[in-house]
Amino acid sequence: MKRILSLAAAALLAVPALAVSQVKIGVINSMTGPQAPIGENLTNGIKLAEEDLAAKGVKVQLVWEDDTGKPQVGLSAMDKLATRDNVVGVVGAYTSAVTNAVAKKAEQYKVPLVNPVASKEEITRQGYKYVFRVSATTGDYAAILLDLATTLGKPKSIAILSENTDFGVSGAKSAKEIAEKKGIKVVFEEAYSPGSPDYRSTLVKVKGANPDIMFMVSYVADAITLMRQSRELQLTPMAFLGAGAGFSTDKFASEKNISHGVFSSTQWTPDVNWPGAKAFGERYNKRFGKTPTYHAANAYIAMMIMGEVAAKAGGDREKVAAGLRAGNWDGLFGPVKFADFDGYQNQNKHQMLVEQVQDGKYFTVWPPALQSGKPIWPFPGWK
Amino acid sequence: MTIFLQSLLSGVLIGGAYALIGVGLTIIFGVMRIINFAHGDLVMLGMYASYFLFTLGNVDPFVSIIFVFPLLFLFGAILQKTVINKVLNALPQNQILLTIGIGLILSNTMMLLFTSDYRIISTTYSSGSFRLGEISVSTPLLLSFVITAAVTAVLYWFLLKTDTGQAIRATAQDRDAAQLMGVNVKRMSVLATGIGAGLAAVAGSLISPTYYIFPQVGQPFTLKAFVIVVLGGMGSVMGATVGGVLIGATESLAGAYISSGLKDLVVYVLFLLILLFKPAGLFGKSRV
Repeated sequence: MKRILSLAAAALLAVPALAVSQVKIGVINSMTGPQAPIGENLTNGIKLAEEDLAAKGVKVQLVWEDDTGKPQVGLSAMDKLATRDNVVGVVGAYTSAVTNAVAKKAEQYKVPLVNPVASKEEITRQGYKYVFRVSATTGDYAAILLDLATTLGKPKSIAILSENTDFGVSGAKSAKEIAEKKGIKVVFEEAYSPGSPDYRSTLVKVKGANPDIMFMVSYVADAITLMRQSRELQLTPMAFLGAGAGFSTDKFASEKNISHGVFSSTQWTPDVNWPGAKAFGERYNKRFGKTPTYHAANAYIAMMIMGEVAAKAGGDREKVAAGLRAGNWDGLFGPVKFADFDGYQNQNKHQMLVEQVQDGKYFTVWPPALQSGKPIWPFPGWK
Repeated sequence: MTIFLQSLLSGVLIGGAYALIGVGLTIIFGVMRIINFAHGDLVMLGMYASYFLFTLGNVDPFVSIIFVFPLLFLFGAILQKTVINKVLNALPQNQILLTIGIGLILSNTMMLLFTSDYRIISTTYSSGSFRLGEISVSTPLLLSFVITAAVTAVLYWFLLKTDTGQAIRATAQDRDAAQLMGVNVKRMSVLATGIGAGLAAVAGSLISPTYYIFPQVGQPFTLKAFVIVVLGGMGSVMGATVGGVLIGATESLAGAYISSGLKDLVVYVLFLLILLFKPAGLFGKSRV
């Protein structure tokens, strides 16, 4: 009896020791549902980060939760991670809508949340103390594109077309503000509901407004539908500008007769001049047989930061949050630091890039210091 | 005026495909009184079938319907014989759960097999168009509309003129009476499900050159088909045809004159209004 008791006591003592050597981190991502094709990039990026953390001696135990692209599912995932799985921190979610919901919960539970790619501005503008964002914001997406447009040409009018989701509406709003500041007249503005097979009626109106440049915020497939139907209607502005997401995927680029000459703002490219970016691109390609989108790099870096900080903090949520606030990192995603500025809290000020599809391939064309190819301006016309 | 004509035209053309999906759903409902909530997923299967025929066998998506229809007809028929037939006399909620379940199994199986990647069929005419005065007409959309019209015509001929077609209509009108008259209603159920599945898949094939394909693509089509069928009158083939074109045109015009973000709202308001004044749907016979 005594022996059993002492064994039990030893077992009890052993448990906390185990918990220290391994940190438990939650992941919320859109693994199924309509956002899954991009969600897959995040999943793969996180998997690579997990390997690299292990190589550094940080053993993370990941608890994967699928939000299926729906905020309410994301909320219950957060509940589970915070209370049942007792994770020290969470990396996620993918879309702005889900992240916005999840961030509120994270703040309630005081669970540090590192967000990789959601870019709706409000997410880090609500005075949250436990929400950290690696991702640039929709304002940055619009700003860099309009920067490029006003440097290369003299556009006087702009049409803004976005999907009516958190990401789309926030992106359109930022674009409008920045365009007006730059003296470009907004001649058309509309939010469409995504997933429709027919945008012709909207595009006809755009054509009627005859804008110098066209700015679009869309997820994957709609980007292709919109460009196809723009071609059908022979819409030819000075430039097509896409705010990341659907406009910066391989699939989009491979549709040569609709993608040639289209600009897209992005947070990361495999050919950008940051240390390790190229190697990451190649490694990803070898492992998963696809070229990574910026989402993969964002997710990778978010998980690396969370893993390292969490290991140092030894499983204490408060210490993890403090570590995230204090640290700064540099690597394949450029410098990362969570700071308070322009009304943001714990927001990384990320250098955005602009890529352009030229003959089915992406080239980083902006800013000039980081470019891998020269931009083609104006829009060369339909093939 | 250009905007009006352009929107009306593309709306009607796309409505043709909606109609085809709706007709499939209405035939299945008519014969078996089961709402097939897996209908959109059958559309998805049709799209995938066309995609693989196109990429592996170099078969044009529009030509592929001659393979896709029999394939999905068989699939639908087997589905009816093995699963749906079992719940014919079950509670409606059980039937609904069954078809929703089939839909989930289909879309998730496709995701396991082919990942959730978006697939795109790029034909030479995928973003082609020609001008008709001020309006631009989408080549693939026009082609698909012509094929839809032809398929619908064949279907009408089949239902109105052939013995089997009449037997199907008889079963839809009154299952028991049809059985008493010597109609093999079991066989009619299998046939109807096969035809319904085949039509949904053909619609999928016809949309595929201008749309994109992924495992969850079907769900919005299920809802759309359901609205079309209720609008036209449950079980009415004529109603579904008109309903499909009507929904397509309404969506497109609402997108042009109100806002493309609000076009669903307009569609559903119209839907509610029609049901308010004609509760059995446009071509439905009210059963008292």
